[in-house]
Amino acid sequence: MTFKAFLIGLLGTFGLPWLLVIVIPYSTQRTQKPVEYEEGAKVSGVYMPKRDGRITEGSVVYGQEGCYYCHTQVIRPTYAGNDVHRDEWAGLRKGNGVDEDTRRETLPGDFEQEKTAHIGISRVGPDLSNFGRRVTHYLKGSDTNPEEWVLMHLYNPKGVFRYDSPDEKAYDSTCPTKAGMFDEINVYGAGGRTLPVDAGQGKGVIPNDRARALASYLVSLKKDTLGNPLPKSLNYNPKAPVANE
Amino acid sequence: MSETNSTADAQGIALRASIDRSLRHPVMFFFTSASVWLAVAIIFGLIASAKKHSPDFLNGWSWFDAGKIDAAHMSALIYGWGIQAAFGVIIWLMARLSRKECTASGTILWAGHVWNAAVFYGIFKIMLGAGSGIQFMELPSEVWPVLLVCYGMITIWSLIQFQVRDAGHVYISQWYLLAALLWFPWITITSWVMVFVFDGDALMATGIASWYKATLFSLFFLPTALASAYYLAPKVTGRPVYSYNIALFGFWSLAFFGPWAGMQKMMGAPVPQFLPYAGAASMILILIPAISVGYNIIRTILSKGELVAQSPSLRFSISGVILFVIFGVLSFFLHLVATIRLTQFSFSGYGLDILGIYGVFSFCAFGAIYFIVPRVTRREWLSRRLIKWHFLFSIYALGTVVFCAIIGGFSQGQGIEDLTQPYDTMASRSQQFAWGVTIAWAFVLVANLLFCLHLLLMWARLGRRSSHPTLLKEDHAGSPHGPEGEIDNYGSASA
Repeated sequence: MTFKAFLIGLLGTFGLPWLLVIVIPYSTQRTQKPVEYEEGAKVSGVYMPKRDGRITEGSVVYGQEGCYYCHTQVIRPTYAGNDVHRDEWAGLRKGNGVDEDTRRETLPGDFEQEKTAHIGISRVGPDLSNFGRRVTHYLKGSDTNPEEWVLMHLYNPKGVFRYDSPDEKAYDSTCPTKAGMFDEINVYGAGGRTLPVDAGQGKGVIPNDRARALASYLVSLKKDTLGNPLPKSLNYNPKAPVANE
Repeated sequence: MSETNSTADAQGIALRASIDRSLRHPVMFFFTSASVWLAVAIIFGLIASAKKHSPDFLNGWSWFDAGKIDAAHMSALIYGWGIQAAFGVIIWLMARLSRKECTASGTILWAGHVWNAAVFYGIFKIMLGAGSGIQFMELPSEVWPVLLVCYGMITIWSLIQFQVRDAGHVYISQWYLLAALLWFPWITITSWVMVFVFDGDALMATGIASWYKATLFSLFFLPTALASAYYLAPKVTGRPVYSYNIALFGFWSLAFFGPWAGMQKMMGAPVPQFLPYAGAASMILILIPAISVGYNIIRTILSKGELVAQSPSLRFSISGVILFVIFGVLSFFLHLVATIRLTQFSFSGYGLDILGIYGVFSFCAFGAIYFIVPRVTRREWLSRRLIKWHFLFSIYALGTVVFCAIIGGFSQGQGIEDLTQPYDTMASRSQQFAWGVTIAWAFVLVANLLFCLHLLLMWARLGRRSSHPTLLKEDHAGSPHGPEGEIDNYGSASA
């Protein structure tokens, strides 16, 4: 084997997968064609995923805090896993105060406004694709608003009630705390700005900006509907609401 | 060992001695700082694993928060320990095999310091919560170009040495080294540009980072480890490599299958569907180079198998090669269509990473360090007991980490897939295995504190002034490292 043959061999064996796995998919995925609603759909024009909240900022904090080591954000199609059927991971089922089945698998638009998709490494904790949907649904009509619940959870996962059964105080969470994102302050009077957690006499806890961004992002994780009804071509769930009914 | 004392041999000894002398400082710098980073990485790994089963561990130390500590752990292991140990092995091996002295040890040493500073800065930022936040490429964006420049300044000399070598045989180890030296910048520049510089699709950014991590192992760490094993196995036993053709096949099959790996982490995510399958196929097919390299190297030493009990470098290298075969078999079973749905988001991936980096790569690197350090310091290792403990603790703990992570991963994945079980069952299932991993990391820590201490003593030139190499067993007639009174082994046994 001459040195020249060696180099050509390396170029070939590495260059081909480099083009096919990296360069070409990267450039084609950069410019995805928008999906249009079908003829006769209730909504017309182009499907726009809609997400509210401090997504770009919160997504960065989510990554920097390494949440993806224990939480995933992907609902795999059934060929790759049972995620769609796992309780409320993929969206809410009909019944129990929910009008329609919104479960679906992950779409490219789900990561709109985020720099990287936090697919995740391991499922030590639950999938978070629709975490915001669940929290918002269960806390509807409660005194605690979703972001406040999330902040209380980040501060002390064991000290907060379960959002899906508020009477259960002992939340047996194995999630480690992110208390470093909260400041302890002295409170004089009612302490209106502080989180409703027990921090000791005359003390209160307030989230810093990173914690607020992260909470806003986590509550924004409602990837079952993304604000607008899905066009038929993107919707694999026959029970999900369709645009052209 | 059939050496004849001729003038050519005497010249060879002088040349090898001058090569060793020219590289003493950079090589020792890389090995010692790498071993300190390894100890740091293991402490981080211990904390990260402890947080999986006892979330209140080190509560209130937000630097060590779960998530950030995992990222710091992997970064310290890869950039602090792995790549620096690889640098030491690469520059020494390439100089020896090309028979050229190093003329740029000052530049290498300087670049090595900058590398260390950049890694320190990067890990510091990760722990402050200011890393890049991209899975598998957690070092902040600005660190990558610095690392690349340092990489160039450290390894360019090895390429030059290869280019100006006296015409002659190209060793198998040299193919692996050359390929690794060319693959690394290609992979890193591609990934850095596409993930950090260009504003691309969020999913592809994650996919490319996964590809980066997988190919960094299969096309940088693995070839470096195999280069060292292909050098040491024939060198220590004095036997030529068993089969040149199998070596050729092993090399090209790795070059052929390796670059497709990585995207199996994206299985089920909305990326073009062939990408995850190509990644999984690559991880399955890595069994082919694993078996061919394993067979070839083990056949090489088989007729002198008793040397494995004596020579620390051979024992570590052969263990590394056997671990590579185990890696191939496990990788095969973890990436089948039926199993990947269980293992994709479980501890199994971590187990395989650790088997790859701490098992295959590090064992070969330890083998190389036990061989190289006495030559560049002109001192022998102080204690055979320390080496034995290092080996035993490492192999025992590695087995435990890998067993717990992979079996625990299956149990965890099965729990998620089984819809009749509530989610909490799955969560509690993985806890007991996480305990196992924590305990095993404690053993690895003991092993590497011993190793680190031993290496630092050698660095301080407190090694034994002796011409008898430190062997794991009392030797009788001859020594596997050459005849008495000569630290260097004669001849180029590595064909």
